[in-house]
Amino acid sequence: MRRIKGAAIAVTAGLLAAACGSSKHSTTTPSATGSSTPPAATTSAPVASSSAPATAPAASGSVAAATHKQGGTLTISNEQGQTWTCQFNPFNPAVNAEANGYVYEPLVYVNPLQNAKETPMLASSYTWNADKTSITFTTRDGVKWSDGQPFSAKDVAFTFNLMKATPSTDLYSLWTGAGLTSVVAPDDHTVTLTFKAPAQPYFYSFADQVVIVPQHIFSTGDAAAKPDAWPDPTPIGTGPFMVKPCTPNNITYVANPTYWQTGKPYIQKVEYPAYLDNNPANLDLASGKAQWGGQFIPDIDNFYVKKDPTNNHYWFAPVVNVALYPNLDPSHKATSTLAVRQAMALAIDRDQVSKIGESGYQPPANQTGIVLPTFKDYYDQAAADAAGYGKVDIAKAKTLMEGAGYSSSKTLNLKVITVTGYTDWDASLAVVKQNLKQIYINLTIADEAQQTYDDQLYKGNYDLAYYGQAAGPTPYTELREILQSDNSAPIGTDASSNYERYKNPDVDALFVKYASATADEQKAIIKQISGYMLKDIPVIPTTESVNWFQYSTKDFDGWPTADNPYAQAAPYNIPDAEQILLNVWSKSAQ
Amino acid sequence: MRYLVRRLGFFVLTLWAALTLNFFIPKMMPGSPANVIRDRTRGVLKPDAINRLLTSFGYKPGQSLGGQYVDYFKNMLTGHWGVSIGSSLGVPVTKLIGQALPWTLGLVGLATILAFVVGTLIGIVAGWRRGGVLDSVLPPVFVITSALPYFWVALMFILIFSVSTHGFLPNDFNYGEGTHPGFSGGFLLSVLKHGVLPAATIVITAVGGWILTMRNNMITTLAEDYVRMGRAKGISNRKIMFNYAARNAFLPNLSGFAMSLGFVLAGAILVEYVFNYQGMGYMFYNATVGHDYPLMSALFMLYTVAVLVAVLICDFATFMLDPRARAKG
Repeated sequence: MRRIKGAAIAVTAGLLAAACGSSKHSTTTPSATGSSTPPAATTSAPVASSSAPATAPAASGSVAAATHKQGGTLTISNEQGQTWTCQFNPFNPAVNAEANGYVYEPLVYVNPLQNAKETPMLASSYTWNADKTSITFTTRDGVKWSDGQPFSAKDVAFTFNLMKATPSTDLYSLWTGAGLTSVVAPDDHTVTLTFKAPAQPYFYSFADQVVIVPQHIFSTGDAAAKPDAWPDPTPIGTGPFMVKPCTPNNITYVANPTYWQTGKPYIQKVEYPAYLDNNPANLDLASGKAQWGGQFIPDIDNFYVKKDPTNNHYWFAPVVNVALYPNLDPSHKATSTLAVRQAMALAIDRDQVSKIGESGYQPPANQTGIVLPTFKDYYDQAAADAAGYGKVDIAKAKTLMEGAGYSSSKTLNLKVITVTGYTDWDASLAVVKQNLKQIYINLTIADEAQQTYDDQLYKGNYDLAYYGQAAGPTPYTELREILQSDNSAPIGTDASSNYERYKNPDVDALFVKYASATADEQKAIIKQISGYMLKDIPVIPTTESVNWFQYSTKDFDGWPTADNPYAQAAPYNIPDAEQILLNVWSKSAQ
Repeated sequence: MRYLVRRLGFFVLTLWAALTLNFFIPKMMPGSPANVIRDRTRGVLKPDAINRLLTSFGYKPGQSLGGQYVDYFKNMLTGHWGVSIGSSLGVPVTKLIGQALPWTLGLVGLATILAFVVGTLIGIVAGWRRGGVLDSVLPPVFVITSALPYFWVALMFILIFSVSTHGFLPNDFNYGEGTHPGFSGGFLLSVLKHGVLPAATIVITAVGGWILTMRNNMITTLAEDYVRMGRAKGISNRKIMFNYAARNAFLPNLSGFAMSLGFVLAGAILVEYVFNYQGMGYMFYNATVGHDYPLMSALFMLYTVAVLVAVLICDFATFMLDPRARAKG
C-alpha cells in the first residue's frame, strides 16, 4: 500500500492525514471508544476563539493543571520509509514533523476535531482589531527555552520577520499569499501582526502551524546564514521534550525539566524508531513493543485488536473528503454537463464504496462536502435532504442521463485517473464503475504513476480524477481549495488546488465575506457554500479520509477518543501530537 | 601488457558511458522534485514556496540540460555530491551514504561472500563425489531454496524464529533500541543478533546458484586428461580435488562472484524492507521515487564504479590465474 506509506512520510500536520485511506466511523468503532477512560486533564482552557466577537480576548491564559505522577517510556510506531536525518529545523518540511509539537511550540493550538477549539500555548491570549486585519498576541510569562534563556514576544516577532527576510522559510506563504505586512513586538510580552486584508482564515497557519524559534539561536552563526537549510541537530525549544540523542535508527526524546506547564509532560521518555516499511511497524504495534501508532493496518481487528482486546484500541477521525473530480472545462463536454454530474452523484453508492473499497475504515462522504461527524455544526441537514443526494436513486439518474442524450445504445465512455499503488482507491473505483454502469456510463480506471497522475491533474488533462485535498481546522479550508477560482488555472497550466476548474463569482464573494465574518456568520457562509456543492456538483465526494491512530492502554492512559477528541491523534499530526504527549500518562508510574 | 591497457581503456570508456546514462535517464522520468514535495504535503505548500525551498538547497529548476550535465560531471568527479532534495531534504549525500554503507557492506557483503564460499565448497565436494549422498541431497535442496523469493523466505523466518519465539531473534532494525552505536560488547552482540535472520535469508537464496555451477564445472574438469594424469602419478585425492580440478573449475565462477560483489553496494532492497534494515537498498528506492537527483546520481555512480572495478579486478585476477589470457594478450 504505497499510498498509505506516502501519507505517513507526509510532512505537514494534520493536513497530511488526508493522504491515507480513512477509518471507521467513530460511532461504529466500539473497540476504540470502549475501555479507555477520558484523559484526566484535557487541555481545555476556556477559549472563546473564533466565535468570540472580534475585539474580545480569545484565549484565556490558563491551562489544565497536572494531575498525574511523572514517569514511563512511550514508543511510537509510524512508518517513515527512511531513516532519521537527525535534523530538526522547523522550516524544513521534510523533518519538521519530528520537531514541531515535540520540541517547538505554536502560539495557539487549534483543534480541527472540536470546531477549531483553541488552547493557548505560547500566547496566553490574543485580540483582533475590528476588521480582523491586525492581531495582537500576549505572550506567556515564565516560559524558558530548554537552554535556560527566557522566551519573549521578541522571539515571536523574530520568527515571523525571519520568514520575510528568508522567503524559503515562509512555508505557509504568509508574507506573499496571506498579505502579512508587518510584525512588531513593542515590549517583551506583546506582538502584533498586521495584514493587508482581513486575515482570520489564516489564523490556523500563523498561530497553529508556525512554531516559534529562539532568536538567540537563529540569529547567530550558521543558523543565521542559512536558516532554511541549517540542520538544527540539537533543537532548543520551549516544548515538552528535548532530543537526546538521535541516531538514524531512533529518536529519543526526554522530558524538558523546565517545561512551563508544571508537572508535565507525564511521560518522561519517548522513543521514535525509524520504520522503513509498514509491516515491521504494524508488527511492533501488535506485539506491544510500540504503544502509539499512526499506521494503516489491514484487517486491524484481527491483526491488532485481537492480540490484546482489552488494551489495543484504534480510533480514526474523519477530516477530509476523497472525491471524484469531474473536469468542468467546456472542452470536456460530458463532465462539464451538469445533468451528467448530477446523475453520477445520485448513482454512486457511497456506503458500498466505504464498505468494499475502504474496508469500512473510511466512512461514506456526502455531497455537501462537509465531513461528518467532525464538522457537523457546519452541516445543513435540511438542504442536503432537499437536494436528495443522500440516497442512491438510479431511476432519477437514468432520467437525467437520458435528458443529456445518453441511453443503453449510446453509452458515455469516461476515464478516471488514479494513482498506481493506492489499492484502496482502486477497490473504491471498482465499486463506482459498477454503480455508473447502470446509468449508461462506461468507466475506465486508469492507474497512473504518481508523477504522471499529478501532471494530468494539475494541468486539467483528464475527464475524471480521484483525489483528496488537504484538511483544515474547519470545512472552509477544503471548500476553498476546491471551489475558489483563484486556485484554478486555464487547462494546460498548473492549478494550485481547484483542479476541476470551478469558477463562480458568487462563491468567490462568499469566501471574501468569510474572512471578516463572526464565527456564527462563518458557519452560515459555509452552509451557503456547501449549497453550491449541491447545486453545481463541482466535485462528487465518495468517502472521508481519516487520521490513522492506534493506542495501547496496557500502561498508558489519557488518549483522545471519539468521546473526547481533544486533538488529532496520529503521531504525524503536528502540532497536535504535543497535546497527546501532554495528556498521556503511565499507569505503572502512579 | 596490451591486455591490461585495453582493459583499462575499456574501463574508462564504460564509466563515461554509464555516468552519462545515469545523468539522462533519471531526468527522463516524468515529474520533478517539487511535485514530490507537493504530493507529500498534500498541496499545503504552494509551488512557489516549494521552489524557493529547493533553490536554497541547491536545486536549480531552470538550468539548461547542457549546463546541468557539465556541473554533474564536475561534481561527481570532485566528490561534491550536494545535499538530498528528496525525503531527506537538506542532508549531505555523503552523510546519507556514510550511514547506510557500513550496514550494507556488513550484511550483504558478508552474506554474499559466505554464500560464495559455502556454495563453492559444497559444489567441489558434490562434484568430486558425483552420485554420492551429499551430491544427491544438497544441490537439489539449495536449488529449490534459491528459487524461492527473497521476501517470502524473510517473512517465513520472521514467523518461525521471531514471532513464534516471542522475539528471540529480532524481526526488525539493525541493532536494539536500548543500545547505542559504539564498540561495546552489548552493541556488537545486538548487531549480530539483528543480522542473523537477514543474512540467513540472503545466504539461503544465493547459495544454490554457486553450488550448481561449481558442481557442473567440477564434473567437466574432472574428465580432463590432466586430472587422469595426476591420478596416474599417484597424487593425493585432496590435492587433485583442490589444486587440479577446483582451481580450473573455479575460473568461470570468479567473474560471476566479482559481479555479485559489485552489486553488494546496491543492497538487497526487499530484505532491507522486510527486516527494516537500514542499508543502501531502501535509500536507493527512496531516492528514485523522490526524484532526489543528487542522491540518485551519487548512488548510481557508486554502483557503476563498484561493478566496473570488480570486473576489472576479476580481469586482472584471471590474468594471473589463467595463462591463456596472458598468451592471447
